[in-house]
Amino acid sequence: MTGTIVFWVVVGIIVALVITVVGIYNSLVALRNQVRNAWSQIDVQLKRRHDLIPNLVETAKGYMKHERETFDAVTKARAHAEAARGVPQIAQAEGRLTEAISRFMAVMENYPELKANQNFLAVQEELASTENRIAFARQAYNDAALLLNNKVEMFPSNIVAKLFAFTKEPFFEMEDSSERAVPKVSFS
Amino acid sequence: MFWQVIAANKRNTVILVVAMGVVLALVGFCAGSLVGAWLGMTAYGLEPAPGGPNAGWVGMVIALLVWFVLLLAALLGSDELFLGLAGAKEISHDTYPQLFNVVEEMKIASSLPTMPRVFIVDDPAPNAFALGKSPKKCAVCVTAGLLAMCDRDELQGVIAHEIGHIVNRDALYLGVAATMLGAVTIISDTLLRSLRYAPVARYRSPGTRGGKGMLNVWFILLAFVFIIVSPILSSILYFSISRRREYLADATSARLTRYPPGLASALEKIMLSPAVLTTAPRVIAPFYTVNPYKQDLEGGLFATHPPLPQRIRILRAMAGGASFRDYVKAYWDVTRTRKQLIPVADMRLGETVEIRAPSPMTPEQGRTGDIIRAMNDFVFIPCPCGMTMKIPPEFARGVVQCPRCGRDHTVKGPDKGSAAAILAGASAFTKQASGREQAERRVKGAWQTVTCLGCGKGITLSSAFSLGTVTCTRCGQVIRLT
Repeated sequence: MTGTIVFWVVVGIIVALVITVVGIYNSLVALRNQVRNAWSQIDVQLKRRHDLIPNLVETAKGYMKHERETFDAVTKARAHAEAARGVPQIAQAEGRLTEAISRFMAVMENYPELKANQNFLAVQEELASTENRIAFARQAYNDAALLLNNKVEMFPSNIVAKLFAFTKEPFFEMEDSSERAVPKVSFS
Repeated sequence: MFWQVIAANKRNTVILVVAMGVVLALVGFCAGSLVGAWLGMTAYGLEPAPGGPNAGWVGMVIALLVWFVLLLAALLGSDELFLGLAGAKEISHDTYPQLFNVVEEMKIASSLPTMPRVFIVDDPAPNAFALGKSPKKCAVCVTAGLLAMCDRDELQGVIAHEIGHIVNRDALYLGVAATMLGAVTIISDTLLRSLRYAPVARYRSPGTRGGKGMLNVWFILLAFVFIIVSPILSSILYFSISRRREYLADATSARLTRYPPGLASALEKIMLSPAVLTTAPRVIAPFYTVNPYKQDLEGGLFATHPPLPQRIRILRAMAGGASFRDYVKAYWDVTRTRKQLIPVADMRLGETVEIRAPSPMTPEQGRTGDIIRAMNDFVFIPCPCGMTMKIPPEFARGVVQCPRCGRDHTVKGPDKGSAAAILAGASAFTKQASGREQAERRVKGAWQTVTCLGCGKGITLSSAFSLGTVTCTRCGQVIRLT
């Protein structure tokens, strides 16, 4: 009699365990897919920026004849960014590209005719929007990565994560001089 | 994302649909029985009609058919219906690049699976709304007035607020509720109106059996049913819409854009705008960011939106960060309550979201937008108060009121020259004082706001301010304080 009770209790515990593990496993998979999806978003926007740069350079070339170095810096940074692989490397290379573009924009301020060129202005709006999209996609990616990383580290989901080889995803931190330049005010 | 809110909205949608089915079935049954009984009485003298009880079931089946059609309409075609009712036109990246870009940026920030369709309503009143049964199939719509008035950051704030409604499934609940309840309202209105123009029914003796008379009896009863049911249903709608959803969408907007002042400033502009939305039918009023019928300033029992000044103050009070926790803290500070606005499980307590710097809007970049607007035939109207209104060609006619100072300007129609003139030189009107002498009575030792006569700017003086004059920073008007 007690044997059957023990048997059913054990069966119950095993079933509950399996259900929990399956639940955690599914939520981990969902989170990982979310991270991957967010990453592909970043990727799309980075490609979009790469595609816009030749356009920008081509439009500006006619006006900025004496700025070879600036052009070269942007083109080179773009080539580096395209060649980069792996989240940290890409983040670093893209951060440099952002810097090169903002330097280019600063130099451009000296060319009033260029700023009045409608083609150029249209490219500029697209570029500005792309910068925003990269920032927002990065934000969405980091949000998703944070959720996944928390699950991978926290008990009890960390056991399931170890079992099925879920790993932490790196954050996408871009080097951006302009972001660093903003002074932080803290009231606490 | 607010998982509990999403779940609640989905649940409420189902409850609403089921409840409507039950109410309609009951009313149909009663109406059917009544009609059956009445017909029986009038047609066969005082003996009950042979089909008396059956008539109730017939009524119920008819009501359920109506319910089913409404449900289908709500689930399949309502977005198009509302867009049509609001007079919205779909736009693409080519016609309005900045708006389209801003929507796509917010789509990315909120990880929506597909790009929402983007619409513009030709209306000078600044406002916006979102539609969508699910994040996979959704649309955002802004008015031309909003586009003309807002800069990039403000537009972003408003769009993020709308995306918040889609993500939180407010749009789902509202869409289904407004279609089903709206249809009942429309049917009852039409029946009411046609009753007024159907005098035959009143003078026909009820004794004449069959033909027109009998049809009219059915018709009148049906009309009465709808007339009784529709106000009940619409008050259910207004009570069931929680005012909390606007706060939650504001919180979502702040977190997505990481820039609460953007939405705050847009809401200020919307509040100050004297233009009233003319194209919004009452059914879709709850959809808008700000209630188009301007009840928002008071609040009140039947208000569908929380008071606008409070929403602005909360967003302005978010100094520490843009996370949900910061929003709730600001909400507590402003309302002086400890209400749990956001379910604890959805709060993301460990998260810190830093507020980003405002978009660098150098005059050059402002000009970029202007040139694109000029290319799209926007009409530029400089106002003596220093504001330049940029009006899309679609509604550049009639009298346009300056949102800042309330002056009226007559617009003759699309005019390319106006934009070129402004772009050629800076506005001729900036920094121009009214030329009139202005004196205001100073209340000693108190905070006080005086309105500049030159440009309408409100100048706030602290209780410690003791000088005899103050100069308007916007137009240079000198105000003497006596």
